[in-house]
Amino acid sequence: MLHEQGYITDDSVAMSAFLSLQLNKPLLIEGPAGVGKTEIAKVMANALQTDLIRLQCYEGLDATHALYEWNYQKQLLHLKMVEHNQQAAEEKEKTIFGDSFLMKRPLLQAITHHKKPVLLIDEIDRSDEEFESFLLEVLSDWQITIPEIGTIKATHIPQVILTSNRTRELSEALRRRCLYLYIDYPDFEKEWMIVKNKVPGIDKKLAEQITGFMQQLRIIKLEKTPGIAETLDWAAALTALHVDHLDKNIIEQTLGVVLKDWRDTRQVQMSLSELMEKTGVKAKL
Amino acid sequence: MITRQTSLSKNIVQFCRFLRQKGFGVTIEEETLSLQALQYIDYNDHEIFFQTLRATLCHSKSQLDEFDNLFHEYWKDLDKAVDAKTKEDPKPKTAFRQQASYKAISKWLHGNGNKETEETATYSIQETLLRKDFSTVPEDEVDELMQTIKSIAKRLAAKTNRRYEFSYKTDMPDLRKTLRKNLRRGGELLDIVHRRPKRNRIKLVLLCDVSRSMELYSAFLIQFMYAFQQVYRRMETFVFSTFLKRITSLLKQRNFQEAMQLLSKENNGWSGGTRIGESLNAFVNEYGKKLIDSKTIVIILSDGWDTGNIDLIKNNMEFIHAKSKKLIWLNPLAGFEDYKPHVSAMKAALPFIDVFASVHNVESLKKLGRWL
Repeated sequence: MLHEQGYITDDSVAMSAFLSLQLNKPLLIEGPAGVGKTEIAKVMANALQTDLIRLQCYEGLDATHALYEWNYQKQLLHLKMVEHNQQAAEEKEKTIFGDSFLMKRPLLQAITHHKKPVLLIDEIDRSDEEFESFLLEVLSDWQITIPEIGTIKATHIPQVILTSNRTRELSEALRRRCLYLYIDYPDFEKEWMIVKNKVPGIDKKLAEQITGFMQQLRIIKLEKTPGIAETLDWAAALTALHVDHLDKNIIEQTLGVVLKDWRDTRQVQMSLSELMEKTGVKAKL
Repeated sequence: MITRQTSLSKNIVQFCRFLRQKGFGVTIEEETLSLQALQYIDYNDHEIFFQTLRATLCHSKSQLDEFDNLFHEYWKDLDKAVDAKTKEDPKPKTAFRQQASYKAISKWLHGNGNKETEETATYSIQETLLRKDFSTVPEDEVDELMQTIKSIAKRLAAKTNRRYEFSYKTDMPDLRKTLRKNLRRGGELLDIVHRRPKRNRIKLVLLCDVSRSMELYSAFLIQFMYAFQQVYRRMETFVFSTFLKRITSLLKQRNFQEAMQLLSKENNGWSGGTRIGESLNAFVNEYGKKLIDSKTIVIILSDGWDTGNIDLIKNNMEFIHAKSKKLIWLNPLAGFEDYKPHVSAMKAALPFIDVFASVHNVESLKKLGRWL
């Protein structure tokens, strides 16, 4: 299923995704940056032909931003408008706590969606621990309680994907509720496939060289190791420049696409010939 | 719940028990889940079967790594047992157990972080101005240390004040500011300003003893200082032996190796003698009034072996105790069960210490958060 959407993967990824669909379990994906964690959710939504609802986590994210909020301004204006109506106070109150004044945030959206959506909770490790435990409730019961309205039960249980960069350890409780998947940097074969697939019109030889170079690059200790996203950017950039093979000049000029830290750039520039040599050897094999 | 009485599901149950025995936490829920998953897959395919169990039973990176071995170990064993037409032999199990306990011990030893366990703690009177090479200090544990310290630092930063400050979070409206802001629109409350309790930002001062007697722990000390300085920005780090040196800026290097090189280049009196009193005195005189206030926690890392002036220790400890929020003395020796602080320097300092505890590896560091 994932293959159809142009997502190159291996057995463990495919199996985890499959089981998470079958068992209706959230899928927790961990791994370094830029290996395609978020992509899985997008591909899944595409494959299921449904909508992707995304909740980007950040420090200080709280329930009002994730769940719902009353459109307070609208409520006020509405009250102002009906001020001179002869409606009873209770009735007025009822209207302003209606659906049209409720701003649905991603979690509530996902639960009340008209068909089973894919809910992506991105970079959960960035949110606070309180939010994580709050999430437990939603993920296990699939319901949200709004005091003014009551409990809203999920119409369809969404397919949940959580991603984490492991900047902090997630709680056991959350882990237990999810299927776990760890994605690492791909090996040569896999990355080569991805490059060939995702960058149309790329020279075969170039793809091979790029992949080889990236594989070598990840072996060196860098501040920020480049992921597949960078490989693809680079491949696309080189294709746009109509380059059909790598040489020292080209690499030096386009290194900024791959490396995002000046220390890394400096380090790689210094050991460039050595890297080229290794890549060359690999390409011949 | 689905319970299929086939030998396969029994096997899985047994496999889960095997996992638990190896210290691999598997809950009943996960066990059930893996059994449920069997409905959807072709379990005759060994690879698919393996991937299924892997996906359902693991829930962290370390478990994934461990799982592969355990899986093969178990199923290979089982195949053997079937071949021999005997029930599972209890012998290999005990062997596993031994292996596990051995693993635990080696892990524990490794977690100690010092490779020179044979050495004993000594202290020297002379000042040996050695330049120590730190390039051999392993970097692998730094990440783990940083993780731990990060959670401590977060808690430190979360201590709240009674005052309030502006906030983007929407749980606490600031009535006064809201009214003022909306006055220009005729007093209709359209924009709500929020506030939150102001946070007390606690400062840390770390004084680290790097004399000869502490050499055993030097690898850990360096990692500790580096990780703490990296994570917690409101912090000053000093090292002392016979004299005091401020190394805050050295440790702020982003790269661990670079920091180590800088540290090696300069003479910090590493592995020299100890004069705690004089060093503390220097600290109090030079930095005391500037750095220490009621929001500062002072941490001293030393074993208390001292050849200097005891009175100086007493006076300066008293000063620091009175000025700071808290004074913590971490003594690596205090980790031993029968340790009693009978060194004279330690005795002199003890009345002014708020928390006296042991820190010598990552494990013990986890407790530090509680005292801060």
